[in-house]
Amino acid sequence: MLALKTHLFSGFIIYWDLQTMALLAIVILMVCLLSFMLLYLLIKAGHEKKHAHWRSIANTLIHKAVFDDEDKIDERFIRETLNDDKLAKNRYFRKLLTGEIVSAKKNITGTAAENLIQLYRMLNLDKYAIKNLNSMRWYIKAQAIHELTIMQISDLVEHLHQFTNDANEYVRMEAQTALVRFNGFDGLSFLDTITHPISDWQQIKLLQLLTLLPPSLIDIAPWFQSENTSVAVFALKLARNYHRFEQHDAIAKCLDHPDSQVRLEAILCLNEVYTDETTDHLISRFLNESLKHQLAMIRVMQTLGTERDILFLTDLLNHESDLLKLDAARALANAGNNGMASLEEYSKQSEQDITEIVLHIKREMSV
Amino acid sequence: MSWQTFLLHAFTYGILVYSMILLTFYLLIGAFSILETRAYLHKNRFTDYRMLASSNEAPTMSILAPAYNEGPTIIENVRSLLSLHYNNLDVIIINDGSKDDTLEKLINAYDLYKADFFVTQQIKTKAVKGIYRSHNPVYRKLTIVDKENGGKADALNVGINIARSDYFVCIDVDCILEQDAILKLAKPFLETSTHRVIAAGGVVRVANSCEIEGGRLVKVNLPKKFLPRIQTLEYIRAFLLSRMAWTRLNGLLLISGAFGAFDREIVINCGGYHTDTVGEDMELVVRMRRYMEEREEPYKVGFIPDPLCWTEAPSSYRILGRQRNRWTRGTIETLRSHKKMFFNPNYGILGMLSYPYWFFFEFLAPIIEFLGTVGIVIYFFTYAVNWSAVVIMIGVICIGILYSIFAILMEVLTYNQYKQRKDILRLVLVAILEPFIFHPFVVWSAVLGNISLLRKQNSWGEMTRQGFTADKKAR
Repeated sequence: MLALKTHLFSGFIIYWDLQTMALLAIVILMVCLLSFMLLYLLIKAGHEKKHAHWRSIANTLIHKAVFDDEDKIDERFIRETLNDDKLAKNRYFRKLLTGEIVSAKKNITGTAAENLIQLYRMLNLDKYAIKNLNSMRWYIKAQAIHELTIMQISDLVEHLHQFTNDANEYVRMEAQTALVRFNGFDGLSFLDTITHPISDWQQIKLLQLLTLLPPSLIDIAPWFQSENTSVAVFALKLARNYHRFEQHDAIAKCLDHPDSQVRLEAILCLNEVYTDETTDHLISRFLNESLKHQLAMIRVMQTLGTERDILFLTDLLNHESDLLKLDAARALANAGNNGMASLEEYSKQSEQDITEIVLHIKREMSV
Repeated sequence: MSWQTFLLHAFTYGILVYSMILLTFYLLIGAFSILETRAYLHKNRFTDYRMLASSNEAPTMSILAPAYNEGPTIIENVRSLLSLHYNNLDVIIINDGSKDDTLEKLINAYDLYKADFFVTQQIKTKAVKGIYRSHNPVYRKLTIVDKENGGKADALNVGINIARSDYFVCIDVDCILEQDAILKLAKPFLETSTHRVIAAGGVVRVANSCEIEGGRLVKVNLPKKFLPRIQTLEYIRAFLLSRMAWTRLNGLLLISGAFGAFDREIVINCGGYHTDTVGEDMELVVRMRRYMEEREEPYKVGFIPDPLCWTEAPSSYRILGRQRNRWTRGTIETLRSHKKMFFNPNYGILGMLSYPYWFFFEFLAPIIEFLGTVGIVIYFFTYAVNWSAVVIMIGVICIGILYSIFAILMEVLTYNQYKQRKDILRLVLVAILEPFIFHPFVVWSAVLGNISLLRKQNSWGEMTRQGFTADKKAR
């Protein structure tokens, strides 16, 4: 045992070298990290108290702006609340106050909203946001655009146009949103020039914003041919949502677009924007398309199919894909008054057993 | 130099080099996770998820939840899934040949009838016995599938065949999802136009000791028991650091089977989940990535750090050991199936970085650690203690603790789910104890996993859970 102790001690002395120093450094780093974390928690707890106080000041101001019957907000009250503007000069308070005002504005309309805008301007918060438009950091720039849009500072709309094709996707998304909020359908003019793609998320957002406005017959035809395929896809969604029947032929032309996403969107669009010839357009291109596009075409035919499509749809019941067979059967059942009868007749005569498909369709139709 | 000395030096320096590379990876993971989390939080400031919740333009999503002997809690779990905020959502529960009353309970609670339903076999599966729909239009989004028992992967494949949505979310039916979980998980699929997002994962958190009411999480608590508490730290480290960092590099190989969303078209093209592995979640992601790489199509695997899914972590060593044994076997099976990618430049980051990392630091690490510990113990008792090796070992342990503390710091700075300061201190204490109490057990379970695989044992192993309402469930 003594030998072991001596051995351990001598070994420990010998290896008190670089490795041990490295070990010590790791332990010091560990202690530093721990101290930082504890310090952060302590500071955060302190800040929380201060922030709660600031938040109550911000809420007092917002409350005054929203619930006061007067058209003009009492400046003296604001100055007194903000301790003679001392608080307004505090960067952190300003950030908190802006956040509270913007958040309140999102849920308020009418006179109360106008009063909030007045308060926002009175506190010169718009000036800080405008200054942030020149920030090198994308999230500050995007935040500034977002803020100015919510607070309806429309004086800058022309200035914001330059950001609609910004290299940063969040900056351009906010700028595009701003233009649509301020100018409605006319705000979509950025689609003429943008080279960067519009993400699906942004398309959903823009379409959602447009639903709040009265429909407008803006010229969307040039966008179908845009070199930016996301613009073409978005234009097709617009045509679909607003039932732009006069664009039918231009949409049908998109069925031959080199980009598969545009072709798919065109197929979906024809479900809402159709003529008597729509299914002919689809059938003539059917064989050249991928299964995904073929399924989309058949689903359109579930709505638009007529008795003259019965032969085409019946042929598809022999297709190798079960999924396509099921969709074709559904389209067949819906193709005019004799559709279901044709499906049942095929089921009886055909060598392949499609009984399950027929029962599936019957169940769907009975719901 | 005698062969013994040579062996001693080779062992020492081998471990040193290995540890240095591992340390470098730790540093990189820390740095990349900071960058990715920061970018995510900045982006999220402008995101209005309410817009997606009510939009008809939102992509269609299906929740696929396999259920096996979930009778005691199934009604509440399904109700919780049906209440999620998302417009274009349907819920498909796959009863995987349960031996209890899971199906009967569902039929009674949701007024179900056996519907005529043509199941397309896009992916080959075990036989479907019946599809059930509700008479009640309130539950029109619900589909129950009754099938022969075939395991989780087979059940998910049936769900994929039945779903008609663009994307599907696979979850463990007993997980608790946040109300906006699907909204947040859908976003990665929509926000990029240059790459196709083939899958997206979310953070899974430990729900033990949390307050659950009516299938919803109402209060987050740090687990009271030691084992779930230590797993809380482990989950924070894995999800907030590792997965965020790999997402930054677009090299993520694993999306948790408990909660992840997938592009249905790509999954079908890849042949669905493989039923011959116990690591079907990782295997699918690797296969999907490989599929995209081989077609040279730009793609991404997304990951979001918000705590969206809460699960019950094993609270006994027996169950935990089985789970880790299975995870090890799953990792090895996946790596073996895709060995073609190992340091293969044709697979880019996937072949040159992700796969080798998993090989050296997920598969080999426990083996090396086990052998290293055994070596040091042998040296110790033969009076030939290699102090270099001991110092390296202590260093590695300290770095491990440092890494855990960094993970806790990231949690505090970002989502801060554990509000009380004493909970954070408890987590720090756990981080210090983990290398001595928990980690050796995990290493040992991984070694047993290797042995099980060599013996060709490929069962899932029983996973008994307490249940959030103290009900017993088994799989």
